[in-house]
Amino acid sequence: MKGARLLRLARGNLLRELGVLSVSAGGVGLGIGCLVFFLALGAGLRLAVNDVFPASTREVEVVVPQVAFGSLLGDLKIDDALLKRLAAIHGVERAFPKMALRVPAVTRYNGMFFGHELHMGLEIIATGLPPELLAQDVRAPFEDQGESKPIPAVANRRLLELYNKVFAPQRGLPRLTDSMLIGFQIPVELGRSYIVGKTMDNPQQTALQIAGFSDRAALAGISMPLAVVRRINARFGADAESYSSVLLRARSSQAVPGIAEAVKRMGLEIDESERRSALQIGQAVELVTLALSLLAALITALAAINTTQTFYASVRERRREIGILRAVGATRGDVAAVILLEAAATGIAGGIFGIVLARTAAALLDWFAKTHLPDFPFKPQSFFHFGWGHVGLGVGVALLAALFGAFFPARAAARLDPAKALSE
Amino acid sequence: MTELAAKLVAVEKRYPPREPGAAPQRLFAGLDLDVARGEFVAIEGKSGSGKSTLLHILGGLDRQFAGEAYVFGQALRGLTDNQLATLRHQKLGFVFQSFNLLPGLSALDNVLLPDAFGSGVPDAARRAREALERVGLADKAKARPAALSGGERQRVAIARALLSRPPLLLADEPTGNLDATTGEGVIALFRELHKEGMTLLIVTHEVRVSHAAERVLVLREGKLVPGEEGT
Repeated sequence: MKGARLLRLARGNLLRELGVLSVSAGGVGLGIGCLVFFLALGAGLRLAVNDVFPASTREVEVVVPQVAFGSLLGDLKIDDALLKRLAAIHGVERAFPKMALRVPAVTRYNGMFFGHELHMGLEIIATGLPPELLAQDVRAPFEDQGESKPIPAVANRRLLELYNKVFAPQRGLPRLTDSMLIGFQIPVELGRSYIVGKTMDNPQQTALQIAGFSDRAALAGISMPLAVVRRINARFGADAESYSSVLLRARSSQAVPGIAEAVKRMGLEIDESERRSALQIGQAVELVTLALSLLAALITALAAINTTQTFYASVRERRREIGILRAVGATRGDVAAVILLEAAATGIAGGIFGIVLARTAAALLDWFAKTHLPDFPFKPQSFFHFGWGHVGLGVGVALLAALFGAFFPARAAARLDPAKALSE
Repeated sequence: MTELAAKLVAVEKRYPPREPGAAPQRLFAGLDLDVARGEFVAIEGKSGSGKSTLLHILGGLDRQFAGEAYVFGQALRGLTDNQLATLRHQKLGFVFQSFNLLPGLSALDNVLLPDAFGSGVPDAARRAREALERVGLADKAKARPAALSGGERQRVAIARALLSRPPLLLADEPTGNLDATTGEGVIALFRELHKEGMTLLIVTHEVRVSHAAERVLVLREGKLVPGEEGT
């Protein structure tokens, strides 16, 4: 109740000094605007990086080291026995073995491709994955349906993005969505290579049928059901027993370091190339965001100093009024509270103004990027991510800056000698 | 023995010397004052004689003095800053020569000012309207001080002093900035308050105010001496 009464008193002063306090609030708002803008930019860029390098904090990819003591002896490979040991590591929820297609394969496409004539020959790189790993993303059966049936294939979403943003515009081909490609078939010849110009005995003509797109699918090449790859490798006399890698899913992200240690003790290693790239880019974004946020903090600090000067001037001008407040029963604390309430209102107004400023600037920049920048791969819809945390932080920092700025003037006001103030 | 509303005992007040090496200026030299509850006392004196300082000491606003000051039996020297604020809030009303209204607030909000402090004033909104009605400004409740005449501003200031119904009203040259007619209105209001039992201590240099008082004292050479009696 008392707070409401003091607020009513502060409101009168705020209205009277609206012009001067608006300048103070504007200064705080400018600093907060910069702070929120840079933080939202950092958050937006982190999301964009995550989009390019989607890394799970619960999963690790186990591979055989390229140079390992075991492999020199020729006996270190991931077979079913080692797979069982990996799956039994404490903290592992599930192990997903992956097997590379160890047989050359090519595709030659001559025909209409969504209304466009297309002539294309490509070497195919493929990896076999357990169907349950991609179950959430596939939209057509993803299992071995026999030698006479097309091979289900899942491509990485990032390949579709690269096709749409780079390949299609260069070749005048249409842009495609994943739903357009589901069920699409591409002829494939197993046992043949364009690169080495060699065809194995008894090559096999078949087809790939797109079953879906997934971030979990291999980035290089396409993903097939594990059983299909195992069958093709066996048919052509290639290794159909050992796995090229194993994806281990931990029960929690906290269990990952322990799992990594156990994997290393087995003579295997964790493939962190993609995670490392994401980490390095993420760190660069963090660093730039931090530097820009410090700049914004400096602007906010200058605004706080300006607030100090404004409130000192206000207290000087209102010495007599402060004397009146003391005469009608205000304590020193009441006088300080009135000044700090005025500062709080100034800070909150500055914070809200700053957030509006940041959102407006972000919208303008996004609009500029949308209309003036080329459509490059993984170009985000927005470079910014505003969360409620930014609103809270913006208003909170603005409030603190204003209260900090008004602290010493409020203390000076509280310490005024009322008799002297009334005699002036 | 009549209970005293205000009492000063051997009060001395000095101001720092105006020039280095000079002697401190002595304003009061062993000043004594007794004001009985319900009394209407006027204190006259020349400009600079210390009339305002006397009120500031009694109101606990000026604590830099020697001697003792009591308000309704409470020794002001023993009170903390917050206790003095409570005393002012509950037992004292101040009226100043220059009105001292807050320019950012309406007349009604100025009257309500004491309600913002301490434990507030019971039924403050109704009391504020009654106080404005009593000083004849019920229709000016929403007006800002800048839109009021000098007499109206002083009446708002009196209404503010009356909000918490204090038993002791301290007025510093309350008619000093008013014309004769408006000043008479204010004096009439003081008479009414006195009749209702309020203790009034008014410092003035105007004879018409002194005539309204029961007792007149003159502040001369740092001491209070009896002056010409009022009504």
